[in-house]
Amino acid sequence: MKKFINRPENVVEEMLEGFVIANAGKLRRLPTERVLVRKDAPVKGKVGIVTGGGSGHKPAFIGYIGKGLVDAVAVGDIFAAPPVQRVYEAIKAVDGGKGVLLCLGNYSGDVMNFGMAQELAQAEGIPVESVIVNDDVASSPKDRMDNRRGVAGEVILWKVVGALAEEGADLAKMKEVGTRAVFNTRSLGVAHTPCIMPSSGKPSFEIGDNEMEIGVGHHGEPGIKRMSMMSADEVTELITLQVIEDLPFQSGDEVTVLINGLGSTSLLEMYICFRKVAQILADHSIKIYRTYIGEFFTSMEMGGFSVTLTKMDDELKRLMDAPCDGVHFIQH
Amino acid sequence: MAIPFERVRLAFSQILEALEKNRQYLNDLDAPIGDSDHGESVTNAFRKVKEAIDKLPPEERDIGKLLQEAGKSIIFSGGAAMGPLYGTAFMDAGKVVSGKTELTREDLVALWEAFAGGIARRGQAKVGEKTMYDTIYPMVEALKKSLAEGKDLSIMIEEAIEAARRGMESTKDMLSLRGRSSRLGERSIGHIDPGAASSFIVVRSFMETLLEKGGGVRE
Repeated sequence: MKKFINRPENVVEEMLEGFVIANAGKLRRLPTERVLVRKDAPVKGKVGIVTGGGSGHKPAFIGYIGKGLVDAVAVGDIFAAPPVQRVYEAIKAVDGGKGVLLCLGNYSGDVMNFGMAQELAQAEGIPVESVIVNDDVASSPKDRMDNRRGVAGEVILWKVVGALAEEGADLAKMKEVGTRAVFNTRSLGVAHTPCIMPSSGKPSFEIGDNEMEIGVGHHGEPGIKRMSMMSADEVTELITLQVIEDLPFQSGDEVTVLINGLGSTSLLEMYICFRKVAQILADHSIKIYRTYIGEFFTSMEMGGFSVTLTKMDDELKRLMDAPCDGVHFIQH
Repeated sequence: MAIPFERVRLAFSQILEALEKNRQYLNDLDAPIGDSDHGESVTNAFRKVKEAIDKLPPEERDIGKLLQEAGKSIIFSGGAAMGPLYGTAFMDAGKVVSGKTELTREDLVALWEAFAGGIARRGQAKVGEKTMYDTIYPMVEALKKSLAEGKDLSIMIEEAIEAARRGMESTKDMLSLRGRSSRLGERSIGHIDPGAASSFIVVRSFMETLLEKGGGVRE
């Protein structure tokens, strides 16, 4: 294993220590739990937004703390859901009197831990709703969408509900719009190199030198198809067409495009791939409304990228356009 | 022959020791169908249990309370998918033996039946879906049968461990229908479920300790 770490069991703690010092102007850590919250939380009269999950996805999740995005993150161990207590403390820390929205990916660990924390907080009289992200088209067929996992689409959800909360929307409205944003969002990724688990020093999956795998999950979960390496255009076409077919996105639609690097794929490669996405969308008469390219939700040093499309409507356009001031996601 | 509080308390130390020994084995089982961290998650969770149990007042003798403290600490601090599952299971198990300072054969069966019920409730699991339930459910069935047949506690426990082992091994040929590995479809076949394997280590250590055989044997 070639990683600049000290002790494997300390990677999350030491990363958090550095992160909190570096971003002390924007956030703070709760004294008793591994939870980071926006510096001015709870914001009175605003619905609080809590997200979280396993570590290893930088800049997700903690890089999205800030005005116009999320208020708190419950931080888990590497690729492991945060426990109930942590989510519960996060909820309490950001409730500004209008309730709290939980945003999480569709993983059984996250769903159970967030769900139990939600019940605990509700029992104490805090209104809590949740939106579960399931944008990965590779992880289950369309007729079993409930079983799909959440990947880069979670960034779109944070952006949309974060903007909505700043506008003063109530909890019900946020759940409604958040749910629609998730439904309108579809992603598919490809990886050619696994990440190395700090705890074991072993790769998260095995793959040949000249192979790539379509649909690999954010934790190295095997995907749907293993193939020989392809050129940027070929693989981008393969992925993008599947994403388009899934919703399906249709001629005349407007979309936000998110090209997400999984950790060690260069921005140079991502722009080459985006070029092809743009051509394919043009061929389908689908108009690009906004574009995001970079590392938004990684899997440590995994090599690969994903393509996310979100179908826009007037409300989603307004929310995507709104400014935000996250640690790693700033938009003017 | 009844099982005293101290044995049950000791069982949790034995579980932790066995999990620590099998940490890498569980991580390795988790690699092909998960993310190679099950050994870490489950060992960390039972370390928290040990801490919680060590904080109980020295005069505490309620086995139900002991199990519920164990469950509560896993729920609150365990995390991952196994936190809520093991946590709910121990909480439910604790409820049915609440107030008891020793366990009869009947109590032991009721305890594990409630444990299995907790997993099923929290994880919506059924037999044959490649989960920890596939280890626990056959063990409960074996315990119930032994009880009905009036077998000795030692035979009862040995047969229960054997049933749990067979249950764990049966997950190898199953198609996963729950949790992260269910997304692999056919590719989940051919691997023992890591949750079923950690459950086997937990029940074996627990049960062997009750028999004063130590427990914590390496897989």
